[in-house]
Parts: sequence; C-alpha cells; structure tokens
Amino acid sequence: LYFKNYSVHLLKAKHFALTMKNTIIILFTFIGFTSFSQHSEELIPSEAVSVFSINNISLLKKISLDELVKYEFMQEVQSELFDGSTSGKTIKDSGLDFDQKLNVYYGKNELFELSGFTFGISNKKQLFTVFDDFEKAKTNITGVELYSSYMNHLLIKGNSGIVIRVEPTYEKVSEITDSIWVARGNSMFFDESYNDYEEGDDYDGDYEEEGIVKDENFEILDEMNPENDLLNKNYWELRDSVTTELQSLYFNQVLNNLFVKEINLIKVSPKFTLQLTHPVDGIFYLDNSKNFSNAKGLWHFQTLFPTLYDDMLDLYTGNIMVGDIVLGESSVDVFMEANYGSELGSIYQKLNSAKFDKKVLKYVHKNNTGFFAYNINLKEGYQRAYDIVIPLLEDEKDPRISYNVLLAELLNEYVNTDALFDTYKGSMFGTFNGVKKVKTTRIEFFYDEETFEYGEREVESEEEMPIFTVGFSTNRNDIPEKVLRHFGRMTSRFKKQEKYWVVEEAVLNSLPLYIINRNGLVVFTNDEDLALNHADGYGKQSLSGKYAKKAQKSKFMYGYFDWGQTLNKLPREMFNSKQNEILDAMRGKAGFMELTSSKTTISKTDFHLKYTFDGSYDNSGKYLLDLVNSIYVLSK
Amino acid sequence: MKFIYLGIILLLFTSCIEIYDDITIKSDGTGTFKYNINLSSSKVKVNSILALDSLDGKKVPSIKDIQAKINTYSQKLSEKEGISNVKIESNFTDFIVKFQCDFKSIEALQKAIKEVIIDESGTKDSKEIDHNWLEWDGIKLVRSIPKITTQYTEKLKTEDSELLKNGSYVSISRFDRNVEKFDNSNAQLSANKMAVMLRANAHSLTQNTSLLENTIYLTNQKKP
Repeated sequence: LYFKNYSVHLLKAKHFALTMKNTIIILFTFIGFTSFSQHSEELIPSEAVSVFSINNISLLKKISLDELVKYEFMQEVQSELFDGSTSGKTIKDSGLDFDQKLNVYYGKNELFELSGFTFGISNKKQLFTVFDDFEKAKTNITGVELYSSYMNHLLIKGNSGIVIRVEPTYEKVSEITDSIWVARGNSMFFDESYNDYEEGDDYDGDYEEEGIVKDENFEILDEMNPENDLLNKNYWELRDSVTTELQSLYFNQVLNNLFVKEINLIKVSPKFTLQLTHPVDGIFYLDNSKNFSNAKGLWHFQTLFPTLYDDMLDLYTGNIMVGDIVLGESSVDVFMEANYGSELGSIYQKLNSAKFDKKVLKYVHKNNTGFFAYNINLKEGYQRAYDIVIPLLEDEKDPRISYNVLLAELLNEYVNTDALFDTYKGSMFGTFNGVKKVKTTRIEFFYDEETFEYGEREVESEEEMPIFTVGFSTNRNDIPEKVLRHFGRMTSRFKKQEKYWVVEEAVLNSLPLYIINRNGLVVFTNDEDLALNHADGYGKQSLSGKYAKKAQKSKFMYGYFDWGQTLNKLPREMFNSKQNEILDAMRGKAGFMELTSSKTTISKTDFHLKYTFDGSYDNSGKYLLDLVNSIYVLSK
Repeated sequence: MKFIYLGIILLLFTSCIEIYDDITIKSDGTGTFKYNINLSSSKVKVNSILALDSLDGKKVPSIKDIQAKINTYSQKLSEKEGISNVKIESNFTDFIVKFQCDFKSIEALQKAIKEVIIDESGTKDSKEIDHNWLEWDGIKLVRSIPKITTQYTEKLKTEDSELLKNGSYVSISRFDRNVEKFDNSNAQLSANKMAVMLRANAHSLTQNTSLLENTIYLTNQKKP
C-alpha cells in the first residue's frame, strides 16, 4: 500500500517538478499528499458496535455486483443504490482499491442506528458508474466530498470512502412526534393498524381505503396554501418531518465526530486497533458492552435506577468479542476471543471451571451427525455472581430492589443450594442423529363403492423426523425421579418403563419423548432405539477415539457438526430463499465444523471454530461474504 | 389475503394433503356441499411448522388464529342468503377440517362463497371472482375448478408444487336420480349410478386444472 501510494505521489511530484522546476515545492507537495492519504478503516464511525473487516479484498474480485447487493448488509445500507447499471459487472469494475480493507459496520445507540461500509478508492470514475444515483451535495467539512442518494450518503476523503446511512430510532422519533402532537392539542396518537401488523400481515391492503392516503383534493390544497400544510400535518406527516430532521441532525453529529473531531473507532477502541494488525483474511469486532447499554429494556431501567445501571455498565465494560478469519484451500478457521472486565471475568472463570463428564460419551453414538457439550460449574458461578451482584444491589434504596435483595438473601440462606446444584450441575450435552422414519398414525378417507359415501379409518403411517438427544449431568437422579413420578400420577401420558420414562405425544403433539434418568445423567430423546435398547449407553457403539479425546480435553465448550450430511437432510422450506442460496453452496459437499474452547481466564475465553470441507470452493470470496452476512445479521 | 397465502403455504408444505369435495344436488336445485381437508398423514410436519415463528418470510398462524379464521368464514357464510345448516368440525390433533352447508340453489352457493372471499381478501372486480365453477340446469351439471384457486396454483414455484405429489383431491357429485353419462373419461360412476367420483393427484392438478372438469348428464326419470 505504501509502495503504491509512494508511486502515485512520485508521479504527481514529477509533474510538478517539470512545471515548477522547484525541488522545495516538490518536497512539500509530496509531504502534503502523503499526510493526506487515508485508510478505509479510519473512516469507521466510533458509534459502530460491530465491524467486519476484510483484509484481502482481492478475494472479492470475482463477485458480481448483483450478487453482492443481495446480501442483507448491503440491502440495509443502500437498497436503491444499485440498479441496472451494475448488471454484468464485478467488484473488480467498481473502482475499489484492493490494497485497502473493506469494512462493514453497524451500530445502534438510544438515538440512532447507523450502518454502511468503508473502502479504498482506486478509480473514482469507475466508482461512480456503480454509485450512479448519488449526487454531489454541499458540505462544510474541508477535504471531504459528500454525495447523497435519498437517505444514503457517500463521503470521500483522500483515497477512501464511506457509505453511511443514519436513521433515528423508532423510540426517539415517537418521543418527539408524540410530544409535538400532544402539544398541538391532539389526544395521544394510537396507531390502530399497528396491532394488525403485529399479527403478521405485511400490509397489502388498500391505503386509500383505510384513509391513510389523503384525498386527491388535498394536494391541490397543499399547492394553494403551503403554510396551511405546515400547521395542519397529520400524525404521519409530522412523524416523517421529525424523522427527516433527526436524520439530518444525527448524520451531522456522526460526520462531525468522524471528520472534524477525527474520532473514529480506531481511536476509541484499542482492541479493534490491535485486531486490525492481524495478518489474516478478515477480522470482526463486536462490542457487547454497547449492546448492553443500548438494550431497549434497559433505557427504562436506566431512568429508574441510574446508579445501579452505571454499576451494571461497569460490570459489562470491556465485554468485547473479536475474531480472526483465515481462509485455507479446504478450510475456514475462525479464532474468536471473548473479552470481559475482571469482575464479570471472575464469574465466568468460576462458571467455566467444570470438567467434562465422561459418562456423557456413553450416550453419544459413534455415527452421530452432530455433538455438543458444554461444561459449567453452576454452583461456583452462582456463588461468585452472588458475591458480586448482591453488593451492587444492596446500595439501592428502591423498595422493589431492596425487597428482591432480601428475597435473594433469604433464598440463599434457606434453600439447600448443594442439593439444587447437585441435581443440575450446569453441564449439558446434545447429539443430532440424523433423520429417521418414525411410526405415527393417520386418518384415511375411504369411499363405499356402491354409493361413494365417505368414511374415515385410522391407519399406521410413517413420517420423517430429526432425531435428537439432549441431557445433563446430575449427582442426584433421585430428585428428577420424584418429579417424573409426580407427573406419572397426574397424567397417563407419563409412563414408567423398566429403565426409562416415556411421555406420549410429547414431541410436536404427535410422537413420544423418552427420558432416561440413570447413571448420573438425565437424558431426553425422541430416539426409541436409544431408550429401548441402550438405556445404559451404546457400549462399543459409543463415541470413542479422536473426537472423544477432544471432548474430554475441552474446557468450557466442545462441539462438532457434520454440516454436509445434515444440510442434505434439512427440509428446504425451513429456510428463506437467500438462506437456501447460501446453504445450496454447501449442500452436496462434505463439510465438518468443529468448535473448541480454551481455559477461561479472568480476562477472556478463546474459541476456535474450524470448518473443513472436501475440495476447494470455486469462490472463497463468496464464502467470506456469506460469513460477513451471517455475522452482520446475528449481531443486529 | 395474507392469511389465504399462509394457508396455502401451510398446505403446500404438507405433501400428503387429502381433499374431499362433495356436492349433492337434488332435482329441485337444493343440495348439500361438503369440503374436507385431511392433513393427518403430515401431522408431525404440520406441528413442526406451527412451532415456527415464520416460514418463507411469513408469520406462521397459531392454531388459535386458524380456528378463529375458520369461525369467521363459517359465521359469514351462514349469514348469506340461501345458505343454511353451516357446520364446521376442526380436529387439530389429526389436522382434519370438515365443512358442510345446505344451499337453496347452485347460484346461491356460489354467490355466498364469492362474497365471503371478497369480504375476507379484498379481491374485487376480477374475472376470477366472476367465474362460475358450477352450472346446473336440472338435467346437467357442469363442474370445474374455481378460477380464484387456479390463480394461486399458477403462482406456485415448481419446487413448491412438487411437494404435492403425494396429495390427492377427490371430487364427488351426487344426485337423486341416475346419471346417464359424463364427459370426463377419468370419472367413475358409483354402483348405484347416482354419484360420480373424480380423483386427481394434487400435484397434477396444479399443473392441469382441467383434470376435474366434468359435465354430468342425468336421466329424466327420478329414482323410485
């Protein structure tokens, strides 16, 4: 990058030298251009909560722009950005500088939501064949060019650009609109269509019919008397005006921070800055502490209990997840690091101090398709959390909190926590054993040959069903047994068999669920074979060898999944068309996903997710974008 | 309209759907219409769909929503002129819904159904709604598929309609006198010669809606 910039500057310097023939000017010009150079990551707003940064964007050269805009992270930013002008073009033709990083970001606080991406620019002319809907707009910020298209903005500084969309939050717009609306003498507005919408209807009714669209004559009235319109806006028009004003206000705030005060994410987050230096294909950053402070329910909490809110915020400070992505020829490695502050860290450390329960392996068939286990010491975690959280709450004078503190303290004294945590220690496991045909019944229509009169009869049938097993470790099988016996007395659906319990029509109201409560485990499964024939485990058929050893060595979490096999068995209709497109790329290929975790320290836990597959992907860039998209959707 | 769409999606993803469509017409033009939908052979699948929040980007209705909608249709239909004895039985253990009503005339039945569809879906002034799928002149019954339903089947994606390959549609026409002849060579005449049955595969029906078209001619003489 330095070499490229240097070459560009040298050419420009040479031009000056020929015209001005003044070496001092050459020197100053060179210095001026160099100091003006900008990296795309320096344009990421400090308000960003999650960032996905692709270091090696050469991987994306083959991706078509039409394909790119289908991703959620692109659609949110600029649904109207790309039109027919991008047809048949690839990212290579878009004027992007492939020596700079491409950074996709998203952020939300209590005032606004922002999303977009930053990138390097090598050819501005080519860039505007893609951003052809953007028109130049005025800005007072020196050295920055602003282009806008509806609510989307493109800002260029030096050889980097940022596409940004800032939208005020629904709550903030409502708060201001409602206050103006009521101040004008109206009663509190209640959106009657909201409940209908909540019921799941995408609105497809006739707006005019519902009185939302104004009368045809209204437009004439507007033209005749525009002042009248300003004073007599209906609620929705007022809301639109407030939204537009806030959009402009918050957009300018973000710009001011970013370009005038020069506060960007790099300046406020050392973790992010450090992550950017990693020589990998991509990195991601997720600031959970901002997610905590921006959580909707907590705004109310913040108003009622400001001190407690600050204490909780302190507890969450430093809760940042960062990760590296490394693309191999037949593998993708994701190295994640979950960071937290020392107090929260001490809770996690205690919580994650449990060892893998070997008994679990007996109930995991060697041919299973997926397996996970997580090991938690709930007792230790509870005690540590109690020691940290109760003192925070004790200082609050609010009667409700005080009452709850008392309740928690009394429960802690009176409840036999040993029995409680011996029953459920916190460690769990689960397996996915593929799809099997299970017996069920159905009603069949039949017709009398004489009259064609119709009748019904019950016949045996078979349906395909995914087979799952989940369970947890216990030192007290006697306690779950008491609960099961109680249900057995209350309903005939709970039946005790020699080595297991069966609950009739428990799974999807149609199939039995089997509960095996023995050998220090409580196991729930819809696998009849496991309950009937292997209630004490699979014996020689159980998981052993490499994966059993890895599971035993694992700390907090271990899991694997035969993605290729499973995908082929999952019904397509479970996913939307975009998800199916992503999954189609993996269907038919053998792929194996494995997650391991390191020992939890007081400051972090490391995770490693490895996805290996047979053969190489035609387009690893597309795979990378799929990952970006998944993380973007998950982090929203 | 959205509810109808969701209903169709729900039916589609339950490949083993069985539909029973039975109309009895007396010589005076009055009669009984029965329509049963049987999803019991896919009840695990239906239950798993109902357990989802959304499917194909649309919210999945709860059993309570479905029941409420069925009741609305039933109530509205029972209020229509020429329609009486509306009965709906819904069994959400086996997922069977049975509808039945008496009608004064074929015209009254079609008019009532159209009005309810217009009322519930907001569809109006469309050729599909104007279409009469039943015609009765006292000695001849002409049956086809309502165009309002073919409108939906035409929009089905290939992969979606493939799911209906195990489904079946049975259409029965009953009379109080003998059937003389009928046009559709796939139809069967009952042993007592007073009923005609047509069976079609649900998938084939989405590809060719004329499969259930039939003109049935009756004898002049009433059965003693």
